[in-house]
Amino acid sequence: MSSETDDIPVADTEYQHDDDGGPDPEKHCGHGRGGMGEEVKRKEDKRFITGRGNYVDDIKKPGMLHCEIVRSPHAHARVEDIDKSRALDLDGVVAVLTAEDLAAHELATMPTLMDDTQDVLVNDKVKFQSQEVAAVIATDRYVAKDGAEKVEVDYEVLDPVVTAEEALEADAPLIRDELEDQEDNHIFDWDVGDKEATDEVFEEADVTVEEQMEYQRLHPAPIETCGCVADWDPGKDKITVHLTSQAPHAHRTLFSQVSGIPEHKVRIVSPDVGGGFGNKVPIYPGYVVAAAASVVLEQPVKWMEERSENIQTTGFARDYDMTGELAATEDGIIKGVRTDVLANHGAYNAVAQPSKFPAGFFNIFTGSYDIEAAYGSLTAAFTNTAPGGVAYRCSFRVTEAVYLIERMVKVLAQELDMDPAEIRRKNFIPADAFPYESATGWNYDSGDYEKALDKALEMADYDHYREEQRRRIEEDADKLIGIGISSFTEVVGAGPGKSCDIAGIEMFDSADIRVNPTGNAVLRVGVQTQGQGHETTFAQIVAEELGMDVENISVEHGDTDTDPYGLGTYGSRSTPVAGAATAVAARKVREKAKSIAANELEAAEEDIEWDRESGEFHVAGAPDRSITITEIAAGAYMNHPTSEEPGLEAVNYYDPPEMTYPFGSYIVIVEVDRETGEVDFEKFVAVDDCGNRINPMVIEGQIHGGLAQGIGTAMMEHVTYDENGNCTGGDFMNYLLPTANEIPNFETGYTVTPSPHHPIGAKGVGESPTVGSPPAIVNAVVDAMAHAGTTHVEMPMTPDRVWEALDEAGLAHDPSQNVHFEFEGGQSEEPADD
Amino acid sequence: MKAAPFEHHEPTSVSQAVSLIESLDEPTILAGGQSLVPMLRFRLARPDTVVDINGIDELDYLREEDGYLKMGALARHADVEDSDLVDEKYGSFADAAPLVADPQIRNRGTIVGSIAQADPKGDWGSILIAHDGEIVAAGPDGERTVPIDELFLLPYDTSLGEDELITEARVPTPEEREGSAYHKLKRKTGDYAMAGVAARLILDGDGRIETAGIGMTAVDITNARAADAEERLEGERPSADLFEAAGELAAEQSNPESDEHGDASYKERMVEVLTQRALGDAAERAGVIKRRAKP
Repeated sequence: MSSETDDIPVADTEYQHDDDGGPDPEKHCGHGRGGMGEEVKRKEDKRFITGRGNYVDDIKKPGMLHCEIVRSPHAHARVEDIDKSRALDLDGVVAVLTAEDLAAHELATMPTLMDDTQDVLVNDKVKFQSQEVAAVIATDRYVAKDGAEKVEVDYEVLDPVVTAEEALEADAPLIRDELEDQEDNHIFDWDVGDKEATDEVFEEADVTVEEQMEYQRLHPAPIETCGCVADWDPGKDKITVHLTSQAPHAHRTLFSQVSGIPEHKVRIVSPDVGGGFGNKVPIYPGYVVAAAASVVLEQPVKWMEERSENIQTTGFARDYDMTGELAATEDGIIKGVRTDVLANHGAYNAVAQPSKFPAGFFNIFTGSYDIEAAYGSLTAAFTNTAPGGVAYRCSFRVTEAVYLIERMVKVLAQELDMDPAEIRRKNFIPADAFPYESATGWNYDSGDYEKALDKALEMADYDHYREEQRRRIEEDADKLIGIGISSFTEVVGAGPGKSCDIAGIEMFDSADIRVNPTGNAVLRVGVQTQGQGHETTFAQIVAEELGMDVENISVEHGDTDTDPYGLGTYGSRSTPVAGAATAVAARKVREKAKSIAANELEAAEEDIEWDRESGEFHVAGAPDRSITITEIAAGAYMNHPTSEEPGLEAVNYYDPPEMTYPFGSYIVIVEVDRETGEVDFEKFVAVDDCGNRINPMVIEGQIHGGLAQGIGTAMMEHVTYDENGNCTGGDFMNYLLPTANEIPNFETGYTVTPSPHHPIGAKGVGESPTVGSPPAIVNAVVDAMAHAGTTHVEMPMTPDRVWEALDEAGLAHDPSQNVHFEFEGGQSEEPADD
Repeated sequence: MKAAPFEHHEPTSVSQAVSLIESLDEPTILAGGQSLVPMLRFRLARPDTVVDINGIDELDYLREEDGYLKMGALARHADVEDSDLVDEKYGSFADAAPLVADPQIRNRGTIVGSIAQADPKGDWGSILIAHDGEIVAAGPDGERTVPIDELFLLPYDTSLGEDELITEARVPTPEEREGSAYHKLKRKTGDYAMAGVAARLILDGDGRIETAGIGMTAVDITNARAADAEERLEGERPSADLFEAAGELAAEQSNPESDEHGDASYKERMVEVLTQRALGDAAERAGVIKRRAKP
């Protein structure tokens, strides 16, 4: 994919860092005003840590009603009858809605992000367990729940189809019988790359390896579940919806399209959001029901999911069954990669990808390696499971791609008996080969993969642990050492708008800066934070570009009535896109500031220079004749040059020319208990390169959070179903999230390779750790058993699965035989043989 | 939490609680609430009345008295975890407390509540089995003690009468050459056990095992005693071979089911491993010196 533009903003190199990537005091990075590279404390934290956050469920409005959804206990069933009468008899129940009621308002169905059509409330047939069948509106949430229990639904239970494999069998029950022309459960086939050329490379290769691997179904599981407060104002014919939204403007457009309410009469407010991770990108039936109920009843209506509703019904992630193959020379040069995927999309095609990429950015499955031939194919199927396929802290399926290639490189290294660091080094895209076009046609902006790997190897004390690993094997020790590497490349920052869209809207983003007469400023952006720290990092970009103090800049977002249109925050796109818009808008303000400075300093505009270090404007050759941005702000309103409009503000809508490609090398060292299969993290090193760094402390926080989620993925998380389609992993008793107890000490490091096309040379970073760490962890566990021939262990690597792998490899140990006991100087017992 | 409606009673003495329980129709008792509240929240439990015993101060204790370590019905897991007395003298309790669920649950959940819940995946029942413990129940006819072996019937079912309240759990104070330990395997903090084993050993002056107690978690329909293994140990000197034999017998006696925590054969194997580990630690704490030949 490429995008030709004449006006690519050139990376501003003036504030690049020292050689190690740290803020360079010599170069006055940040300049003490909280600009680029400074560890400014997060502005948003005061309200969070003092309990003053304001989440959707904190919002209470006079006369507010509560919505509870009646859900199907069956995965596949026809609804024969719904009896509302006992629920309506309950004191406090105001209304009970079914598909029929919604149909009267033309709201029976809603589009998914992939342009499928989903029932808001089941019209005829239930297609997954816990699907929305009816809704009870009541005066409080307890009565609403009581009412939901009293709605009587008769079902004709049908045979369910749970796995994608079953779904594609010839005699599988048809799930989507309401669709014309849909004769089976097949959704689409997709492929990329040159099949013929790749097949040829495989035929001629010295060595080929193949491995099956499942990227299990996960759920983003944000701590705040999804919900909304819909409030129809009959006086203004306008609806305001406070919504757990990662993309408020896109949701406004969708709300308008679904409801028929003109878009200027729809206001979406996304207040504080307690984690999104892709879960809050789609529209869910509960939002539509609450909005419809508010319009009909002319009262505010709140709908807030319970935890199990969140996990069981809203957008899941992953669920790819993958086959990976590599072709290589005897000395480890990778010539080709081939992959085939079976994707379980659930009951509706609701994957959250830019519409031109049905498999998202799985396209970059060639990873960090210069591979001449690549071919990937995928088949997607409907099943009787919850719909989804959201970008869980990742850029649209890049996670699956990274897992595939990083696992396969390890498999190849084992086959060739090569060091996994060495084989990576041999195959990396060389640092001088950027910009680089991959075999699947993707344009990598910049990278220096070897530098990141070298740094990680050094931090991990790699040679020492290899030695320790050998020693443990030789001594037949009870605990084996495994060392796993992942040298991943990410692709983040969608657009460009011409290739990437959400429901047809191009994926640009926006910034609007207004400098006040007293010298402070408000930045409004079209992206929406869910914990990423935008209120701090975007203020730092403005501070850097305008020479203002970061304290004097506030960042507003999440209100569609006041913020510029944007596509929202997911896929690590905020800094690459809205961050770029912010820098460009700030530079526009700076240009106008020059003309005001010229007026104030009684000089020609072309003689005015801006000094990044002092943040002041001065007359060329006369540094004493200078003026601060605060003085200029006053001038803009109190003494504006007649040649200019009054005021000091600028807007930028930024369509990125390309995506950015952050990367890194993670090294995980584990100890595997041969008696129990338990895995302990001995060392966890993460070296990331996200280009120029805005706030190292925020980056560090992002890396820690993402690594924790990577550990959850590799070790414990899994949305499971039984053969009847019952979700057996649908609550926190069974969907296991890691806590601080499961998280080792992370040693983080970084290199800096700026993006050449981004205005501040930055790339996204938030999802790198989630994307990059699972293969490092699996590689480590496999590595502990590699000497006995193990090539793969499926995620989540629970102790029983690891023990089974140990047992299969002949490595499981009987409980320690090398112990002996003595009683207080008396009788001693001889050590037993083993 | 959106529980179904219920009446909430808050007695302040055991006698008040007992008469309330007698007068109400199938009341549910709320102590720490760490099992009950999630069940109320899922509406799996729908009691008409809840008797909340948290206001009964006389049940809030953890102390040694009359030859027992006594835990009142309001002693929380965290009280055991934080107790110097437990640290010093009750190895299995000190091992188990920090492994129960997560810190938030330990701050509220109670030992007696966990035992009364009779969940086979609960930890304390196994520890009481290893220690030959008992519980004290108060009812309309006064107090009685029930040996732990006579308490558990089925998952979530005990031999107690519907009008009885467990006021205390207790185990004998340790002998001179006594040691105990608890080993538990779980997928993560906060998760129930995949398997757990409590062991207690009392040695005679000659270094032979006089009394052995082994309780098993999550591998049968209740917390279970590994009686064959205990028998094998008694009268013998601690040795790796002996503990291995005991581990095998315990595994044979266990009866796990395959579930999300692993398949049955894995769990049986883990009973073997955990039994040997727990016995090794118990022996060491009883005064035996454990040496490892290799790392």
